[in-house]
Amino acid sequence: MRSPRRRRAVAGLLLAPLLTGCFASGGGTTDDASGDGSRLRVALAFPPAENLSPYGADATLLSRLGVTEGLTKLDANGVAAPALAESWTRENDRNWLFTLREATFQDGTELTPAAVAAALTRATEAEPVTAALSGTALTAKADGDRRVRVTTEEPDPALPLRLSSPGFAILSAKAYRAERVNPVGTATGPFEITEVTGTTGATLDRFDAYWDGRAQASGIDARFIADGSARTNALRTGQVDLAEAVPVSQAATLDKGTRRETATTRTTSLLLNTESGAFKDPKLRAAAREAVDGSVLAQDVYEGHADAGVGLFGPAVTWAAGKRVEPAGRAEAADPDGTSVTIATYDNRPELPEVAQVLQQQLREAGFEVKLEVREYSRLESDALAGKFDAFVGARNSLLDTGDPVSILASDFTCDGSYNLALLCDKKVDRAVAAAEKEADTAKRQQAAMNAEAAILATDAAVPLVHQRIITGVGDSVRGVILDPYERTLVGTGTRR
Amino acid sequence: MTAALVVAAATAAAVCARTLWLGAHRRLDDRRGGGSGAAMLAALPEFLTASVLAVVVGVHLGWLPALGWYGPQWTVLPALALGLPAGALLGRMLGDLLPGAFAEPWALAAAARGIPGRATARHAVRRCIPGLLPNLGLFVVGLTGGAVTVEQVFDIPGLGRTTLQVALAQDLPVLQAGTLALVLLAAGVGALARLAARLLIGTALRDGALHSLHRPVPPAPSRAPLLHGALLLTVVALGLARDPLALDTGARLQPPSWSHPLGTDALGRDLLARIGHGAFTTLALAVAISAAALLTGVLLGLLPRFSGPLVDTVNAVPAVLAGLLVAGVAGGGAATPALAVAAVAWVPLAAHTTALLEQERATTHITATKGLGADDAYLLRRELLPAVLPPVARHALLRLPGVALALTSLGFLGLGAQPPDPEWGLLLAENQPYAERAPWAVLAPAAALALLGALAVTAAGGVRWPRRPPAGAVRRPEPTAAPTVGETG
Repeated sequence: MRSPRRRRAVAGLLLAPLLTGCFASGGGTTDDASGDGSRLRVALAFPPAENLSPYGADATLLSRLGVTEGLTKLDANGVAAPALAESWTRENDRNWLFTLREATFQDGTELTPAAVAAALTRATEAEPVTAALSGTALTAKADGDRRVRVTTEEPDPALPLRLSSPGFAILSAKAYRAERVNPVGTATGPFEITEVTGTTGATLDRFDAYWDGRAQASGIDARFIADGSARTNALRTGQVDLAEAVPVSQAATLDKGTRRETATTRTTSLLLNTESGAFKDPKLRAAAREAVDGSVLAQDVYEGHADAGVGLFGPAVTWAAGKRVEPAGRAEAADPDGTSVTIATYDNRPELPEVAQVLQQQLREAGFEVKLEVREYSRLESDALAGKFDAFVGARNSLLDTGDPVSILASDFTCDGSYNLALLCDKKVDRAVAAAEKEADTAKRQQAAMNAEAAILATDAAVPLVHQRIITGVGDSVRGVILDPYERTLVGTGTRR
Repeated sequence: MTAALVVAAATAAAVCARTLWLGAHRRLDDRRGGGSGAAMLAALPEFLTASVLAVVVGVHLGWLPALGWYGPQWTVLPALALGLPAGALLGRMLGDLLPGAFAEPWALAAAARGIPGRATARHAVRRCIPGLLPNLGLFVVGLTGGAVTVEQVFDIPGLGRTTLQVALAQDLPVLQAGTLALVLLAAGVGALARLAARLLIGTALRDGALHSLHRPVPPAPSRAPLLHGALLLTVVALGLARDPLALDTGARLQPPSWSHPLGTDALGRDLLARIGHGAFTTLALAVAISAAALLTGVLLGLLPRFSGPLVDTVNAVPAVLAGLLVAGVAGGGAATPALAVAAVAWVPLAAHTTALLEQERATTHITATKGLGADDAYLLRRELLPAVLPPVARHALLRLPGVALALTSLGFLGLGAQPPDPEWGLLLAENQPYAERAPWAVLAPAAALALLGALAVTAAGGVRWPRRPPAGAVRRPEPTAAPTVGETG
């Protein structure tokens, strides 16, 4: 548009404030191929929500990037394996003795029993309490110059599993000096955070003194890209080497070689409100369970990137299949006869609204009247926990928080459970879960967990729909990505490009 | 943001170029302009443009980065996504005023004296800009606060996205800071826009030496609305005969065929059926809200002292935040989304009314009418409203698709339409992730919305507003060189 001089001046005046301070900082996407391993560029799905506090949702973010570690870690079979602790023994019901390995923090200080005890103590004092601790209390004290004694209030046979949680990350004393716990340069992992750019990105450098050998990549440039399509586009345009959690809708746009699938411990279930509403009646719950067909969901909604629901623990929980127990004493299905129900779900995981709509049709065919309620998760949770809906469709990673199969059953399905979306309060279930909680021996504990699963499934409070596989986009030149069914790690010492 | 403004300006220029050229060469007769094209462009949802641009230009062609925010070349695509619809809207509004400017005596005189058409066109634009400035200001603030979806698609760390995130996370201090920043920005931009309007037209305003910008004769009704309407009706009628809820997950994302003329969505539902059934809910609500917004906008626009600060403040609140606020006050009832959108939709209309009114009050014919002894009520009824209402009404119609989209944007708060309701905005939102694999799934509802936009704007040309009685003869004589204006197109 042509304009007289005066107008041009006015336009300049108008635009002046807009020209300033616009761009995000570059987040060094340079190819640093100085013969010493190039930097990895990673696109993560969830931006830090709590200033990278290791006690909340950001904890897995830190462990995925290889920043923090705990005393233990989960191996492929879901058993606790040594990490910062070389070995451990159970002294008695409540006391455990962990022997530390020789390691240094990223700030150069030594991994000492005092530092570990202090770190664990801080984790127990976190506000709000870290999910890994759910329902237990523990104290940690240094014992000699190599060992730490951890004492639990109640007997906790799953303690080593619990300590594998990202919420029990061990940081050096420097991290705890301020009010906020600061993992920058104070963790023990192969990579060290050097810079965090708000919720946009983070820069990490290799930590050369890592106890398990030097990482092959010289550093990581992490970007947080919440939008699934944008994350996939970043990989497709070569702006990143790794993109986590590629949504199903975008998976088909990636080459087969770029698309890596991992069965995860994340199960999508239909949770029926057992406390109020139509599904208080076990016969209607049974009718709903019979009406629902998970294989359609796995094949069509998830386009084959999922397995049909077999139980609360899916194929990624490797030991579960052999120990599964058939639920006994289920109610007879009754005719719904037009009973009206409301299913709630959230759209943060884009597949869930589609799942809910398919469920709506399946239940409708069985004779239910179904209304859907789709919201953003944070606007839904409190209403769901208060029992305002008849049913809830949610995706839950059963081993993410504690790594212990029993503790998730306790928090999600017992009378005192803190995340009991089915509002289930059943004596048989409580007994079965309590029995499992007492087992110390791994095999026996796993069997007891499966018994409890059967008890829960028998109530029809939870209908497992699908077991999701996570799709990770991996650039052609990238090697050694860790595809972790527990979604706790992504980058390790062997990851390179 | 500057880039988005440039794109908007360029789009607006392109939209009005024809009118300008014709006007400059004194050939503005009742030929049809390109109005429906602009209306369609203005109806395009930003996120759709954004994802298409990201995938086509960014990923497939690789010309420009598909996401991020690190330097000038990163701004191009988001600027296009934001600027195109906004520019089309501004262009339409400008195109609405231009013929009036060209019909003013000075233009006639300029032509008579042989002043080049370029200069005439420049002055015509300058003459019209003050009426648009408030809306330009609103657009600037809207860019900052309301570009959430575009920020998401291109992964831009913008103020709008941040504010929404903290609003959802109920992080009050940050939310307050974010909202305050938006309100301050809105106030600043509002003040600047007013200052600019003063600079451009101030002396004339003070001396009451302006001419009325409204068109010399009403726009001729055209056949375009019939065409658009018939097309839309056909689609709706065909769709109504089908089942919008029948799921067939096996027939997922089918391309258009005889059994599914517009293809299927991600759950194998027939898109034609969904568009047809969604038309009623979408249209009824959007029209009702637009009407309410028009009424409120004009009423408040008539009281600039009262509404000026209100406009600045409310404009700083993106529709989604308004939704959260309304939900907090009124609860999550069925009327909540409508209330929330209506609460913000009147703002641009009020700003437009005020700007036009201010100019109209300063016209010589008002002074003359006053001189003849007309009282305020008479002036308002017989002179001011007839001059101001038509362009504002057309503006309201132009924003109708936007209202429909704003309603949808509340959906994820659990406030708007809930799946499987075939509401148009929801159709767009649901199918957006599949835009690349099944373009028809988003193109069909987007086309319906664009058609609605074109219909709304062209139909406005066919509406005859009450004409002033011969008393209006005190107005300037009807120019003979440019008797009729084809702004119906």
